[in-house]
Amino acid sequence: MNLPTRRNLLQSFTGTALATMLHREAQATANPLAPKIGHHPARAKAVIQIFCPGGLSHVDTWDYKPELAKRQGQPFDPDGKLQFFASKPGNCQGSWWPFRQHGQCGRWISDLFPKLAQRVDDMAFIHSMQSKSALHGPAMFMANSGFILPGFPSMGSWVTYGLGSVSEDLPAFVVLPDPRGLPPGGVINWGAGFLPAIHQGTTLNTDPEQPPIADLFPQKDFAHLKGVSEQSSRAFLQTLNRTHAAGRQENTELAARIAAYELAARLQLSAPEATDLRGETDATKKLYDLEHEDIGPFGRQCLLARRLIERGVRFVQIYCGAENTTAKKVRPNWDSHEDLVRDHGYWGPILDTGAAALLTDLKSRGLLDSTLVICTTEFGRQPAAQGAGKGRDHNPGAFTAWMAGGGIQGGTAYGTTDALGFKAEENPAYCYDLHATALHLLGLNHENLTFYNDGIDRRLTDVHGHVIQEIVT
Amino acid sequence: MKAPLALLTLALSNVALGTDFDRELRPLLQTHCIECHGPKKQKGELRLDAKIHAFKGGHDGPAIVPGRPGESPLYQRIASPDPDERMPPKGDGLKPAEIAILKSWIESGAFWPESETDRAANVDNRSEHWAVQPIRKDFPANASIDAFIDAKLRENGLTMSSEADARTLSRRLHFDLIGLPPTLSASSYEELVNELLASPHYGERWARHWLDIAHYADTHGFERDQLRPNAWRYRDYVIASLNADKPYDQFLREQIAGDVIAPHDPQAIIATGFLAAGPWDFVGQVETRSDLLRRAARAGDLDDMVTQVITSTMGITINCARCHDHKLDPITQQEYYSLWSVFAGVKRGERDVNPSEAKRLAEEESRLNSELARKRSRIAQLAGEGFPLANVLPEDSGIDLRNGSLTKTKLGYHRDIQVNRLQKVPDVPVVKWVFVPDGKGEVAVDFKRSVSGVPPSSGHFWDTIANRPLNAQRTTKLGDVDYTSTDHSMLAMHANSAITFDLAKLREQTGHTAMRLMALVGFGASTDAAATLADFTVFVDTEMKFQKLKLRKDQTAPLDVEVPATATTLTLIATDGGDGIGNDLLFLGDPKLVPATNDSQLSEAEVTELASLRAEVDKLESALKSLPAPPKVYAIVPEAHPPVIRVQRRGNPEDEAGEVVPGAFSWAKHAAATFGDQTMPEAQRRIALAQWITHPENPLTARVIVNRLWHHHFGQGLVNTPSDFGMGGGQPSHPELLDYLASELIRHGWSLKHIHRLIVMSAAYRQSSAGSVQSARLDGSNRLLWRQNPRRLDAESLRDAVLAVSGKLNPESGGPGFRDFQYTEAYAPIYEYITPDRAELWKRSIYRFIVRTTPHRFMSTLDCPDPANLTPARMQTTTALQALTLSNNEFMLRQARYLATRIENAAPDTPGRIHRAFDLCFQRAPNPDELRAAQSLVTEQNLFALCRMLLNANEFVYLD
Repeated sequence: MNLPTRRNLLQSFTGTALATMLHREAQATANPLAPKIGHHPARAKAVIQIFCPGGLSHVDTWDYKPELAKRQGQPFDPDGKLQFFASKPGNCQGSWWPFRQHGQCGRWISDLFPKLAQRVDDMAFIHSMQSKSALHGPAMFMANSGFILPGFPSMGSWVTYGLGSVSEDLPAFVVLPDPRGLPPGGVINWGAGFLPAIHQGTTLNTDPEQPPIADLFPQKDFAHLKGVSEQSSRAFLQTLNRTHAAGRQENTELAARIAAYELAARLQLSAPEATDLRGETDATKKLYDLEHEDIGPFGRQCLLARRLIERGVRFVQIYCGAENTTAKKVRPNWDSHEDLVRDHGYWGPILDTGAAALLTDLKSRGLLDSTLVICTTEFGRQPAAQGAGKGRDHNPGAFTAWMAGGGIQGGTAYGTTDALGFKAEENPAYCYDLHATALHLLGLNHENLTFYNDGIDRRLTDVHGHVIQEIVT
Repeated sequence: MKAPLALLTLALSNVALGTDFDRELRPLLQTHCIECHGPKKQKGELRLDAKIHAFKGGHDGPAIVPGRPGESPLYQRIASPDPDERMPPKGDGLKPAEIAILKSWIESGAFWPESETDRAANVDNRSEHWAVQPIRKDFPANASIDAFIDAKLRENGLTMSSEADARTLSRRLHFDLIGLPPTLSASSYEELVNELLASPHYGERWARHWLDIAHYADTHGFERDQLRPNAWRYRDYVIASLNADKPYDQFLREQIAGDVIAPHDPQAIIATGFLAAGPWDFVGQVETRSDLLRRAARAGDLDDMVTQVITSTMGITINCARCHDHKLDPITQQEYYSLWSVFAGVKRGERDVNPSEAKRLAEEESRLNSELARKRSRIAQLAGEGFPLANVLPEDSGIDLRNGSLTKTKLGYHRDIQVNRLQKVPDVPVVKWVFVPDGKGEVAVDFKRSVSGVPPSSGHFWDTIANRPLNAQRTTKLGDVDYTSTDHSMLAMHANSAITFDLAKLREQTGHTAMRLMALVGFGASTDAAATLADFTVFVDTEMKFQKLKLRKDQTAPLDVEVPATATTLTLIATDGGDGIGNDLLFLGDPKLVPATNDSQLSEAEVTELASLRAEVDKLESALKSLPAPPKVYAIVPEAHPPVIRVQRRGNPEDEAGEVVPGAFSWAKHAAATFGDQTMPEAQRRIALAQWITHPENPLTARVIVNRLWHHHFGQGLVNTPSDFGMGGGQPSHPELLDYLASELIRHGWSLKHIHRLIVMSAAYRQSSAGSVQSARLDGSNRLLWRQNPRRLDAESLRDAVLAVSGKLNPESGGPGFRDFQYTEAYAPIYEYITPDRAELWKRSIYRFIVRTTPHRFMSTLDCPDPANLTPARMQTTTALQALTLSNNEFMLRQARYLATRIENAAPDTPGRIHRAFDLCFQRAPNPDELRAAQSLVTEQNLFALCRMLLNANEFVYLD
């Protein structure tokens, strides 16, 4: 960024440059969310990221592996040397859904995603994704922040740190968790780490019965606090604050805090407006299948994402799945250890409907060109069955992510896995490359987007990452 | 004249041989390579901008092999036909002529004449870095903080501001030293300082700063974010140590090696909670079956420990040397891993705070248990033969829970068994069925009847239910009775298993009508096996008659259950205690059905004996019950012989290089950086490190801590990167002052309170924080301290201040953290925060039970940091969400209501109440305008509205 870094401000305290330097340091306190110019012209203005926690199986969905089907039932690891996260590999297990070619590009997609298959000419796939961990917690952190440890800023935080926000009335980085609960690792997944807290994701409540943002309005015993009385209370507070600030004009934080109360008041109007779906047409509601018991909630998350982007929110993250909590009939996320047909069979139509509707809707409104849509998971699943069962174990060696919209060349693919989908083979990639590419499309150079923390200028991409030019227009 | 001549000769020969290089090679490298392999970037760890770097090579070894272009990666990569291999990566590569020059240069011996740049690169001036120079100690007697500050201000044409008014000073001092709003009024400033430093709240305030850099929390973190119910003892240790003004060097030594320095001092053992304070991944360390994943998790664990110890005490970013040598500081990767070696034998875990007391308690428990067993066995003899329940199974047989058949073979692990399915046992008519309970909902004890209250379990099972020892059972003794010996019997029920008896059929067999089931429940596991817990539950029909939860491997539980004449089923259920089924080798010793009343057949003497035996049993039982649980702390569990540590290439645990020995880094030259060899016992390693860190000549330790204190008193440190004193960190604004404070610390027996006193007594600290346009133009960020810095309350102080003014602050100190959440046990435990509206949740924020994965939203909105990070300085943001939280959060609103009640009772009329409210919140009276505005707000709404807004006011939240 162009702000003076801490390091170059600290060279020395002797000499004549002192005064200028200190003056510059003092100026470095502006509104951290003011819109900023990136490093180069941007292709996308906003991001909607769909995250499928638990580990979405690439071999049953995006990554066509005919050889795996041919070896159906044959031992996957004849030497018995491999040990997966929770099991020894069973036999080769072909995709549980048949694959077909779709669109102008003729890419193969399995029958689990019939609606997304129709959008394939807008989508670009990275088939050679890998993770550094086979554990949900660390792998989730890695996919979101580039590090397997907690405490690092998530991509949404970095993006708002780099670009600020054009919306003055809504948070810059909004997260829409699955209504079933938070994903593995919880809210740390959208934490700001060591970046200022203003860059952390704001959770929007997706339950239409609840206020969209926590503490937006007084609740319970205090629900009567609204309307005119609130205005006069606030007026009293601001008078008090302005009197207090009058004698302390050099303390800009006081003015910032007065402004924050004004923004809070605007948020009380804008957040309910942004999340009120009543104005949407029946056709739109049908497109997202809002009335469907299982599909509807995710459709609502996707539709909310579109509305937020329309209102200038910079980064929206949607979770399609929750944490592995108490076992129900169906796993609460994509972590299909026992019965992939049951669990992916449940989650497939949910993702398919919501994500396809989002792409269609964005396109028809002319928003897809300026909105980067990303669909990710923390790792893939094994081409072998888990033991003798119908599930698959974790596979950090290979998985697929896809992107669409702002600056993405649809119908393309980057990287491959081996014949069975066990490991990335050609052009192996990590989240660093995905992040570098996303930042690039947003006008940010991932090597220059840095923040000093405990001895090091940190980056979203650590010391790695290449922009994947092959999928960029 | 000899030397210049020699130089001249050398220079001439360089010119003769080096023409090619300086004219052709150097520019070529400069144009094509330096961008990525130079001072700014060192891709592949390789630098080609100076001779010493170029010949050292990069990550893949030497880049230049003189005389052999074919073996020199520099040439290979530049000449490669493969575009993925070829350097430079952008463009079409070098011209053939340029490649030829490079080749012939290497062939001819790769002679690289030294230029100015090359020579400069040979000298490592990093050893001159200010922070590793010895601390200056020879200060004149009249040296003072103010003298240093004044001098620097004068140099820059600035002067100190005047002293702040008494109210401001009192607020500042209270929040700085104890984190609470003013309540004390002392006769003088100095007296106030003394009172506050002596207050027990001082430790509560300053422990928070220390716990920030220890990234302390009360749960593990990561996916399965489980509780650490005993972590709090370390938090209390920090508070107590600070209150006692424990010498800082001792404080550090205890936290690193207290358990080996003073093995009999419980506080010293608790102190090592420091090493365990950070996050720990249960799934990676324990749950996964993959060794590779375990190694990765352990690597993260050791990195966390080493990083925390070195950055907190010495302010060196040691973790930067994990994948390669430190890029800025002269610290090698080898040195980094030698610090791993210090901690190689250290794992995090629960530990007895007082081992001898724990041992005594365990012995006492086992003595009481075996005495009980003896008495019970005699009671069973007297009270009637009793029917040995185990004998309903044919000799040496077990019931296979999968199909209800009998087997003499010992079986193994069953993970895929269907839970809660009632499996009939055709060959044993008195057994109605067996099943594997999972306890996640209701459990059927009958085809029509279910019960609740069975603890949740993994639903896995081992071997069979049998009247003989189980597969892998290590002992058949409980206390000193061996239940396989003559006249004894056993019924083995490994978790998770359950068996239901048909009481009608049992009555036929025993001849008893009303009965009691008596037995001793215990483990058949080896004493050296891992700690394990299990539960045992008994139902008669659907009524729970007995439940022992989380029975420890070294405990037993007596079972004495009434079985009425009308009951139809008896169900025994063994479950895994929530920690998996490993070692859950439960069995019942002498399970007997005795008639409910049998005394009539006894002689008078026997009746007397029986009565006295029963009285003794009661006494023993209550003695057993009143045995306290030995106190534990979440700290470290060392192993005497640590594994050998090797350097991990690129920080990859699967790519190991040479062995390292325990040690530290040699950049700080105060003492030897190598501590010993591979045979060095674990305890000695940590003692050596603790001594190395607290060595009086260590240039960093004292400077780092006095700077941290300064940081918290002024809002920024003299070095404004408090955890980075390395080359990449900040320069001290007042180097001499820093050394003066460091030397004062050491001279005064490492007393932190002495430094606090020096700081807060200074005129620099007592300055007004009012701005000045002129001074701001010269030093806008106030690094030179021409005024005090205004500051905002941190999350904890703000919450505590709200409670203090509402009158609800619970002054109780210490003990387990208060849990302002609902906890649901699950694979990944669920924490749902509640509004703290009870006295036990109104303790000071330092006593909050801190959950890693689910941060407290109220607190983190107010910039309370994520305990995954080591936080030397709190971030401060100003956001709309903070405004919403402070005005609308239910906690705030309830406290505003309490405050309203408090002031309502404090004065008879509105003006009096408003005065009281201003006094509590701001320690001043309202001015006439404020009074008018407040009065109209109260009239229009109520006192609550006023109180709510006062708690939101900038004046409440900021300190001048």
